[in-house]
Amino acid sequence: MRTLVQPGAPLQPRRLLEWAAPATDLRATLSAGQDLLRGLVAALAERGVAHAGVQVLTAEIARLAYLTGAEDPSGERVATYGPPTRLEGPVTLLGANGILGPGPDGETLLHCHAVVVDAGGRLHGGHLPPGDCLLGAGGAVALVTPLREAVFAASYDSETNYPLFQPTRTAKQGISA
Amino acid sequence: MSAAAIFEEGRLGRIAVIRLRPNEDLVSAVESACREHGLVHAVVRSAVGSLVDAVLEAGETALEVPGPGIEILTLAGEVRPDDAGGPRADLRGTIADGKARVYGGRFRRGENPICITLELVLQEWLPA
Repeated sequence: MRTLVQPGAPLQPRRLLEWAAPATDLRATLSAGQDLLRGLVAALAERGVAHAGVQVLTAEIARLAYLTGAEDPSGERVATYGPPTRLEGPVTLLGANGILGPGPDGETLLHCHAVVVDAGGRLHGGHLPPGDCLLGAGGAVALVTPLREAVFAASYDSETNYPLFQPTRTAKQGISA
Repeated sequence: MSAAAIFEEGRLGRIAVIRLRPNEDLVSAVESACREHGLVHAVVRSAVGSLVDAVLEAGETALEVPGPGIEILTLAGEVRPDDAGGPRADLRGTIADGKARVYGGRFRRGENPICITLELVLQEWLPA
């Protein structure tokens, strides 16, 4: 198994786990014309949910851009994103996982990767940047697991030289986002 | 023709908010994280992350996908106790390489080093 030397010294522990309380899941439906990520973040904010694990169950997409990994020519990180691949719809989402939490500046982020199939039957997939996934007729359905007592919150990670979501304990009442 | 399913009654319990750091093997590290926190029954609820390189099993085939920067697109599966009572993970999913080619299969233990991070939500399964 090949390993890579990261730009910063290895941090301990290598595996982080925090316990969140059992939660009532939410099934969320978005409609045509919404952006999948921004729409979900905004809808969940209205429900008071700023921390969650997300499974996108269905989505019909009119227009999409996604990013895949590449070596970082600057050498400042072991990997970065290449240029976006753009797809015109109809694009059918086959599966997507997301993590919702506060970004490094406190704004709520949805870190989401998806696998989709285009109108010609070709598979695609990658990281979805916010604002580049326009929902078409049929909209989207997501199953949302709200996180309380422990959440993902982004902070600078000196090992990888990226801001990354880290498991973070909160007060029993939860934290404000 | 009849085939009986085997049922196990239970419910979903606590939620584990997990991050794996770079160069940890996906399957082994999920098992280690569970062992360190006394979790032996769990299901994957969400996961976002990347791998240095990937090896996926599909039938008799081992798909070797070189990275770095392989994106984990979807991850599904569960953690169950092995014969000795320790956590054993069965993880399957889809990935994309740097040329945006998509592959799917079962993640082979010991062959899928984390690249930047894995953000993982497991939910405990509590057998009745």
